[in-house]
Amino acid sequence: MNYLFGQGMKNIWTNRIMSVASFCILSVSLLLIGFTLLFTANINRFVSGVENKNEVVIFLDDNVDSTMASAMENTIKNIQNVESVVFYSKDEALEDMKNSMESDNADELFSYVGEENPLPDAFRIRIADIEEISPTLMDINRLDGIDSIKSPTDFINILTGLKRFIGIVSAVILLALILVSLVIISNAARASVDIRKREIAIMKLVGATNTFIKVPFFVEGMFLGALAGIFASAVTCFGYSELIKVLSQDMTIWSIMSVNGFIPMGEFAVKLVIGYAAAGMIISGFGTVMSTRKYLKV
Amino acid sequence: MVELRNVSVTYSNGVDALHDVSLRINDGEFAFVVGESGAGKSTLIKLLLKEITPTSGRIMVNGFNLEKLKKSKAHKLRRTIGFVFQDFKLINTMNVYDNVAFVLRSIDAPIKYIRNRVPYVISLVGLKDKAKSFPTELSGGEQQRVALARALVNDPQLIIADEPTGNLDPKTSLEIVELLKGINECGTTVMMVTHEHELVRHFGGRTITIKDGRITFDDYIG
Repeated sequence: MNYLFGQGMKNIWTNRIMSVASFCILSVSLLLIGFTLLFTANINRFVSGVENKNEVVIFLDDNVDSTMASAMENTIKNIQNVESVVFYSKDEALEDMKNSMESDNADELFSYVGEENPLPDAFRIRIADIEEISPTLMDINRLDGIDSIKSPTDFINILTGLKRFIGIVSAVILLALILVSLVIISNAARASVDIRKREIAIMKLVGATNTFIKVPFFVEGMFLGALAGIFASAVTCFGYSELIKVLSQDMTIWSIMSVNGFIPMGEFAVKLVIGYAAAGMIISGFGTVMSTRKYLKV
Repeated sequence: MVELRNVSVTYSNGVDALHDVSLRINDGEFAFVVGESGAGKSTLIKLLLKEITPTSGRIMVNGFNLEKLKKSKAHKLRRTIGFVFQDFKLINTMNVYDNVAFVLRSIDAPIKYIRNRVPYVISLVGLKDKAKSFPTELSGGEQQRVALARALVNDPQLIIADEPTGNLDPKTSLEIVELLKGINECGTTVMMVTHEHELVRHFGGRTITIKDGRITFDDYIG
């Protein structure tokens, strides 16, 4: 086994031009797939960030007293898909309204309101799964004591559609990228095996088993795959952190979009290295071995 | 021992490469197989290596019934045969030592045995000082000697030499056949395929002539 492993490693140097070509092709393929994944994940994070700002406000009838409001709060809490319920009294609403009007005349303006607060009591509700907002609103609507409901349904529908669209587009792009990469990588593996078909035929003729011939190719492919995976991880991490630095210099656009910032590198770095190396090793190792098959039929 | 009984080979393009060939080469024999290009010599070798299967007939090589031997088990048969080819069929990325040692490594022979056996066989063919050379650094005659060492290293029952002198000058050709004769004298069966009648006449012995896929002569000459 030591000989076969050593032979695989030796073959990388012996066939160095093909090894470099395979390494480059693998690295570029992994980089393309990785960056597409990161782009998609960040877009999803942005959309989710916006979604998380969702809030449904339920305005109560004037005749709902505190006992009834408390009972309604408990009922709403138990409705599926309701994440949280906060009672928002008419006094708080008035106070907030005053505060939001940064005008010297605010007090004068509100003096006309007098003792009577015209604003209604309300519940501020957060929805767990935004895509399921419509049935949740229907459940809430069945309750007595509700005057009206203010929900960003249209906006949420647009976001949900956008998220679904991005999901489908990125899945299609990823799938296409993976397929193209597989074709290119397997062609590279085939080319590297092809120039050694004579060698394989000789090995067969002198009585070597298929396994004995395949193992060094497998070792070679796995090693190159791992190397390409590590290299691609390093480039991705470096490229991503530099990109974040540039984009984070002006966060205005992202704050307008109410996002939580980019996915921090620490969240995915280890997974990325493992994923890249594993993908590289599996695709390259098995791709190389598969390419030897037709030459083993001697 | 090599035995063919009523063997015929018809390729998918309709060419009759061998027609009802029966032949027996006993253990310890040296036999020349001669014939012009396209006579069926290469087909005969392919059959003995189980690279192809006959359309009809029965083949026994070193106790293996090739009809029953699965393609996936062909390595078991090939390990009992040493091959020498016109184009040497050496692995150019391996040096002389590794080319010869490959056969033993592929059968998982002990390292100690490989370390003793390989230099011995390389010295037998007169290449003691070239063990670290690569095939491309050797002359045609030297490359053929490496191929001979590789064929010998596993102590095979049979050596099949396919036009081993085809790429060599007359002097080197004589040396190679003499080496094959020497190997045969040690008890190994040798079947040498050639189209060089001069060489056959020079050495004499059992000669099998194939023409148009049929054996037209099988006797001792010289």
